[in-house]
Amino acid sequence: MDQTIICRCEEVSLEDIQQTASMYNCSAREVKLRTRAGMGYCGGRTCRPAVDAVLEAVTGEKAGHDIPLKVQPPVRPVSLSILGGYMK
Amino acid sequence: MTNRILNHPVLGVLENQTPINFTFDGQVFTGFEGDTIASALLANGIRQLRVHEATGAPRAIYCNIGHCFECRVTVNQSETLRACMTPIQENMIVDSGKQQPAPFHAAPEEWPRTYAEYEEKQNEAKEGDAHV
Repeated sequence: MDQTIICRCEEVSLEDIQQTASMYNCSAREVKLRTRAGMGYCGGRTCRPAVDAVLEAVTGEKAGHDIPLKVQPPVRPVSLSILGGYMK
Repeated sequence: MTNRILNHPVLGVLENQTPINFTFDGQVFTGFEGDTIASALLANGIRQLRVHEATGAPRAIYCNIGHCFECRVTVNQSETLRACMTPIQENMIVDSGKQQPAPFHAAPEEWPRTYAEYEEKQNEAKEGDAHV
């Protein structure tokens, strides 16, 4: 059960997140920076609610009502050619 | 076409479909017009679309709505197209995602000196490894 993958992009397991959270008693953002959970290809849009839920269970940190953790543009991975305005 | 539902109790019979041929990892498959790469491969019994770049764990459709990028494949040499969002086209060449070299996870004495050595080490590591 603890080997359940939470972040599939960076392959971070539930055990990794729980251990990091309890060892450092840290925020969701710090867990993200320490384990890379939510820093992968999908930009954390798949695992972010799960990471927040684990953090709430371990440290009691409640996810805010605004966007949890931190989202950086671009919202979806895009190629540099699209970002540069080149359309096929 | 083994896994496709051809006769659905509610949606009826699937008929008059235009077959489209495409290539996945060098093997030719047939899907129907309007299929995505993921659905055409699933109908042909192929579930694994790529492996995790670092660990080599198998990956397939996860969200199937273009959200999670777990099904990204290489299409006609353009990387990172979502198999669940890309419709198949005639003679499309699709390649699965491969494991990337990660030589710095080991001590310097254990670093592979040639690509053949790297491949050998990768094969050793895979045996008996449990994948989630």
